[in-house]
Amino acid sequence: MLILNNLMPEPLRERLSGKESSIWNRSLQFATGEWIKITAPSGTGKTTLVHMMYALRKDYAGSILLHQTNIRSLDPDSLACVRQQQISIIFQDLKLFPHLTARENIELKRILQEPFCDAAQVTKMAEQLGIAGILDQPARICSYGEQQRICIIRALVQPFEWLIMDEPFSHLDIVNTKIAAALIAEECRKRKAGFVITDLDDDELFPYTQKLHL
Amino acid sequence: MNNLALLLKKLIRNSAGHARYTIAITGLSLAVFLLLAAVQIQVNYNELLHSKSNQDSVANFLVINKVLTDANMGKTALEDAVINDIKAQSFTQSVGLLTPGRFKASIQSNSDRFPFYTDISFESVPKEFIDVSGTEWTWNEAAPYVPIIIPNMFLDFYNFQFSLSQDLPQLTPDIVKMIVFRVTVYGPKGTASFNGKIVGFSDRVSSMLVPSEFMEWGNRNFASETLKNPSRLIIRTKDPGDPALTNYLWKHQLTTDAEKTRFSKYRKVVDAVVAISGVTGALMLLFALLVFTLFIQLTIASCKEEVNLLIVLGAAPQQLSRFLMSRFFPANAWMIAVSFVALAILQYLMSRYLESRHIFVSGIISLYTLGAAILLALLIWWVNRKTIRDYIYPRS
Repeated sequence: MLILNNLMPEPLRERLSGKESSIWNRSLQFATGEWIKITAPSGTGKTTLVHMMYALRKDYAGSILLHQTNIRSLDPDSLACVRQQQISIIFQDLKLFPHLTARENIELKRILQEPFCDAAQVTKMAEQLGIAGILDQPARICSYGEQQRICIIRALVQPFEWLIMDEPFSHLDIVNTKIAAALIAEECRKRKAGFVITDLDDDELFPYTQKLHL
Repeated sequence: MNNLALLLKKLIRNSAGHARYTIAITGLSLAVFLLLAAVQIQVNYNELLHSKSNQDSVANFLVINKVLTDANMGKTALEDAVINDIKAQSFTQSVGLLTPGRFKASIQSNSDRFPFYTDISFESVPKEFIDVSGTEWTWNEAAPYVPIIIPNMFLDFYNFQFSLSQDLPQLTPDIVKMIVFRVTVYGPKGTASFNGKIVGFSDRVSSMLVPSEFMEWGNRNFASETLKNPSRLIIRTKDPGDPALTNYLWKHQLTTDAEKTRFSKYRKVVDAVVAISGVTGALMLLFALLVFTLFIQLTIASCKEEVNLLIVLGAAPQQLSRFLMSRFFPANAWMIAVSFVALAILQYLMSRYLESRHIFVSGIISLYTLGAAILLALLIWWVNRKTIRDYIYPRS
């Protein structure tokens, strides 16, 4: 169970107060396995919300509870444990190590904890997403589209209960988006995991259980 | 090395420079070597000083008297104040007064085959200062003989000098102990004779010693002089090489067997060497640790972005700390081990060299030095760990 309790980011308080939102200043409960879509125009706090849910930011009012634990109060090692076992993420700004190859970027996340899948599966996923050929290239020379797909695979090689995605297909065409979405859905089902995806517009890529507007 | 460590190694490079790293490691090695050497030198010196040999047990007992000068001729008695002051000194473990006989005495042979006669004087010391064991050191008027302890050097003098010149037989200690002779004491009231027997030989006091009971009896009944303070006393000391002891004697115009305090001047040299080596080592350790700490900080700071991203992606600070410790500490551990082994080899070579000069120290490095090496390893481990953790754990 993931609970968002009256959230309000302090730096955006003035800008957001008075605006209609189904998330800010409301109490929400997401059951494990739910697939949540959050849409919002640019500059309304999607990335802020994602960072809050991933405990990258602490400058907000309210609380986020994962299995009754306030993720803001976790010590650094416990938070790392949550990020290795319970919450995986696809960042909008990708956050790859430019000097490492695509495969090394994925491998690092795979073996940071007890691996959830084997190395062969990584290659299989890369083939599925059409990036098998660039796996041994340094990430810095890959295109944005390729980098985004590397990030998607990187998020899927670890165990998780919740997958948080911040505009994960922003650099992909519609064909590749559908392929990536299918892979994400398959991996979430495999783990009986839920996800929260933010995007600019509504879509029907997944059978969402809730759609919210920020 | 596992795959994760390989990837982390690729990310967290040694960006602080090899020259700086070499300086840091060299400085630490030297510092560790000097500190361990200081400990080993101290241990070696203590071993030389306190090893269980007869000579050293003699050295722990010192007979002290005033320096005889033209000015104090006939006035060498030790005043109560002086005696009490000596008792109060830190180097003094216990003090015994040498009681001189205030009566005339002589010994002469009971046998015509081996005639001798000599005037002598006796002294007595408290029982605990006697270094002859296995004999009943007491006397009363009904006793069959007066037990006497003589200095070893008397027997040496007789056997290797006197007997040869007088064409007399040489005597072993056991034979001497079998000889019964006549002890006569003289006083204003007349004379008294007893049988006497040598019961032991002493290296500690250069006097003919009798039990204090005999001395008290003789002084009471035959004293020709009035009671006066003793001129000599014997002290038991933990360390006859203690410079405080020699300084004290010099300052108060007292003297003792110089040979027994010979360690004093060596002690000063050893103390100076230990102090210089220890202080230099400690200072070097401080600076080298500082340089090494800076080196670790620089390495982490130059990879700050990578470290931050690793933590964002879910690497536990504990995991990163462990990895960084595995990068930095083994070099330190090796350096301590190399310093220790080098010192162990030096100790062995030095013991062989000293052995040829009849000075015996252990060829094996001491456990104290090993303990010091372990303590230094723990200290360096702690400094490494603290520096790494301070930089890795996000400040909240």
